[in-house]
Amino acid sequence: MTNRNQFVTELENLKLELIQMGDLVIANLNDGFSSFFTLDLKLAEQTIKNDKIVNATEQKIEKTCLRIIMKEQPVASDLRLITAVLKMITDLERIGDHAADISKMLIFMEKTKQIYPISSFEPMAETCNMMIKNALQSFVNEDLVKANFVIQTDDIVDDLFEKIKRTVSEAIRKGEIDADYAIYAMMVAKYLERIADHAVNISEWVIYSVTGEHVNTPDL
Amino acid sequence: MLNVFEIKSLNLYYHEKQALKNIDMIIHKHEVTAFIGPSGCGKSTLLRSFNRMNDLIDGCRMEGNIYYVGNDIYAKDFNVIDLRAIIGMVFQKANPFPMSIFDNVAYGPRCQGVKDKKILNNIVRQALEDSALYDEVKDRLREPAICLSGGQQQRLCIARAIAMSPEVLLMDEPTSALDPIATAKIEDLIAKLKEKYTIVIVTHNMQQAARISDKTAFFLLGELIEYNETEALFTHPKNPKTEDYITGRFG
Repeated sequence: MTNRNQFVTELENLKLELIQMGDLVIANLNDGFSSFFTLDLKLAEQTIKNDKIVNATEQKIEKTCLRIIMKEQPVASDLRLITAVLKMITDLERIGDHAADISKMLIFMEKTKQIYPISSFEPMAETCNMMIKNALQSFVNEDLVKANFVIQTDDIVDDLFEKIKRTVSEAIRKGEIDADYAIYAMMVAKYLERIADHAVNISEWVIYSVTGEHVNTPDL
Repeated sequence: MLNVFEIKSLNLYYHEKQALKNIDMIIHKHEVTAFIGPSGCGKSTLLRSFNRMNDLIDGCRMEGNIYYVGNDIYAKDFNVIDLRAIIGMVFQKANPFPMSIFDNVAYGPRCQGVKDKKILNNIVRQALEDSALYDEVKDRLREPAICLSGGQQQRLCIARAIAMSPEVLLMDEPTSALDPIATAKIEDLIAKLKEKYTIVIVTHNMQQAARISDKTAFFLLGELIEYNETEALFTHPKNPKTEDYITGRFG
């Protein structure tokens, strides 16, 4: 039995808010991917607009965290949880930004009137989607195995990024791709690679929240 | 790092009731060590063991050893009076003597034979300065100590302890009866005092323990449950009982 029922409820609500933000980001990201693969400019515009909701949600959760810190002076696992949430919402907000960025790139790419299909984009987007979902799942269930799986999956995304780079370079050398299109395509690839990095960050914060250990501590 | 106190297999009883169970710990020089735990866990009992104040409690007996800089303080011929000069104590309720501010601080040195007025003046002034009280009382040293505020009285008690040139200060919930401003002044003072003294503090206020201590020891039902660097104990405690207590899941 706890002496701090109100505090426990606040923490449960905070976790719920983070999950809801995650769902919002995943939905917007899927819209961004969808608009990219189906060349749907209207959906792209909508994705860009929806990013404002993601940003507002981040600020709301940040305020909740600060209020809890001020009121409850958390320690131990409670402090780690709140710290992790504060960091994870930043990563989620950046993922939201990149979803909007991919949609913006689609709009620019469409204006070139040249479509150069790059097959690695789709598996890259699917992997990113899977990584974010697993990262959030690992948070819900405090699942360290799942968190570590996300971290290891980043290599797949990095390999796909290199593949896209080689494909675009080859196409430029052969004169098969419009110069602007090539740049936009590389930017999309970079945004996808960064989305995967943010999913990794989320998983690392889950590990910290559960164990107190920083996975990615640099050598000083 | 020099060991100031070494406690080995300490068991303490009040008549038949065991208040401390198999305590083993080391307290290091120039560190602030906080003892935390629920009421009745033995933290004040252990604190009082360091200067043998428990000797004054009827029915109190001890097994095991406490060493102060390598000397067994419970050895047969150990000088308890000298011990209590080296190891000063400040209590929860400020207890100024019914005399002037000056005489409160000068009392201990006078008992030790210091008669020279100039030396006494210097001792009193230094102790009051070190306790961050001098500026507030310098023009009224002959006034009764009882006229001071609660926070000032507590700092006077600290000055009284410091006047004996101790090496250790034991503080038993020194701020629990004080308002937040007075508490903040004492906490600031403790941060400065640790440069000169080794400090052991019992506190019910976990945020205070987190703020001012280098190491924290958590006690429960007479046992030492966990003892670690304060930052480690308050961010990722090893023992689930520690986690439950400091997060307020039980009190």
